[in-house]
Parts: sequence; structure tokens; C-alpha cells
Amino acid sequence: MKGNTTTIDLSNILIFKTNIQTEFDKLRIKNVLDASHKVLKWNIDMDDVDRVLRVVSDSLTPEQIISVLDYVGFECAELE
Amino acid sequence: MRTRNADKEKLVKEKAIEMLVKDGFQGFSMNRLALACGVSVATLYIYYQDKDDLIKKIGAEIGKLFMAKTLQGFNPQMGFAEGLKKQWENRAAFALKNPKEVACYEIIRRSRHGDNIVEESLKGFKAAMGDFTHNAIKNKELISVSVEVFWSIAYGPLYTLLRFHEEGKSIGGRPFKFSKKTMDETFQLVIKALTP
Repeated sequence: MKGNTTTIDLSNILIFKTNIQTEFDKLRIKNVLDASHKVLKWNIDMDDVDRVLRVVSDSLTPEQIISVLDYVGFECAELE
Repeated sequence: MRTRNADKEKLVKEKAIEMLVKDGFQGFSMNRLALACGVSVATLYIYYQDKDDLIKKIGAEIGKLFMAKTLQGFNPQMGFAEGLKKQWENRAAFALKNPKEVACYEIIRRSRHGDNIVEESLKGFKAAMGDFTHNAIKNKELISVSVEVFWSIAYGPLYTLLRFHEEGKSIGGRPFKFSKKTMDETFQLVIKALTP
């Protein structure tokens, strides 16, 4: 992965609050997000109460991510 | 539109260090950091992937700063006493000027990220210190002992004095303040112990 400090385009980073609880939940999200070429990078902060999902993508919109998560049964809302 | 803000970044780092020292590793949370900095949680996640990423980056930064300061005016080719004195002066100056950063680094070092940040910080440093001690042994200015024995004599006393200073007291609650005089006196004894 290239250096990710000043060169990153911040509009490509999408942040969401989710209700992902367990490692198993995380696996289910992984299957879905890894399957998309448009998702460049993603991670979930399981240490955080908001279970923040962070997605790096230069083409997907927040709405698209929200509906994908909704489809597999998770709540997801954009954090501003 | 989100933009990168250098002042906010600086504030986040400063507050994170403060909160890590105050609440410890387990007690630290991204949520509370965001609140303390007056930024949204989302903003924090722009700069850092997650709690681990933030802590690792802060640890690495403090480590690099410390190593750079420690090596200022120092040269591995220096005579042993001169070089070690420079180390003492640099390390003491850093600890006295940045007590929060030092405490924070210790907390991170003891956490699950300890090995990672130590390795990051130590890269150029290990080489310089290795050369320094090898030259000193070769020039018969330093007795040949294991790394642990060397370190505990060469630096242990300095860190003990700095700990006393941080706590404001030494043995049995005696009030204590670090001074050049105390440092120099201790240093002379250390050199005496390490000289063949």
C-alpha cells in the first residue's frame, strides 16, 4: 500500500457507524467488501463503541456502502 | 468537503498523549479523544484507521523524536566519557522538557504495540550506539560487559534520577529536584565503574 499521509484524497475516505458486534459479523462484512474491486481498503475499529467502519474508495458513494451493509443485515449510518 | 487541517492534527496528537497518560492504554477511547479535541469522531478516522493505528503512530513519532534528540551533537567516534556525557545531557534535556511524551511512550511500550514501536524507533540508533561502544572497548575506555550490565550502569542511574524528579521525591519521601550538579556527580561515578 502506498504511503498514506499527505497524498491521500480525503474525499475517498468514508466513515460509518455500524452495529457490527462480533468477529463473525466482521467476517460477513469482509466477504462482501473484499468482493468489490471498488473498495480499496477497509477496516472496522472493534475497540470503539460506534464500531466505526472506515472505507477507502474512489468510486463508491456512502449510500452504496450503506445499502450493501443493509443487505447483509447490519445497521450502518454515515458519520460526519 | 473534508480537508486536512494541520492545527487539528497537532491538537489531536497532544490530547491523545495527555489522555493516554491520564487513562492508560485500556482506558483510552477514540470517542473521548474526539470530544476532548472538539472534532467529530469521523474526523478522527480520517487521520487514523482505528485506535491501534493512532497509538502506533504516536508511539513511533515520540520514539523517533527521542532518538533524534539523543543523537544531537553525538558521534559514535567520540571518546567514551565525552560521548556518554552527551547522551546523558541529551536524554535528561528531553525528559525534563517532554515529561508527558516520555510517560506516554512508556505506556505504549508496555502495551501490545510495544515491540512494534521500539523496533521502528531504534533503527539508526542501534547502529550508532553499537559503533560507539565497540570503539570504546577497542580503545580500552570501556570494560567489556554484556549489553544489560552496560545499560544498567551507563543509563540506569540517570533514569533513576529522572524518575525521582518526575515524582518530586526520592527515597523515603525526601523532596528532590534534578540538577546539573547531581547529574555530574553521578556521571563521574558511572565513568569510574565502567573504565578498565
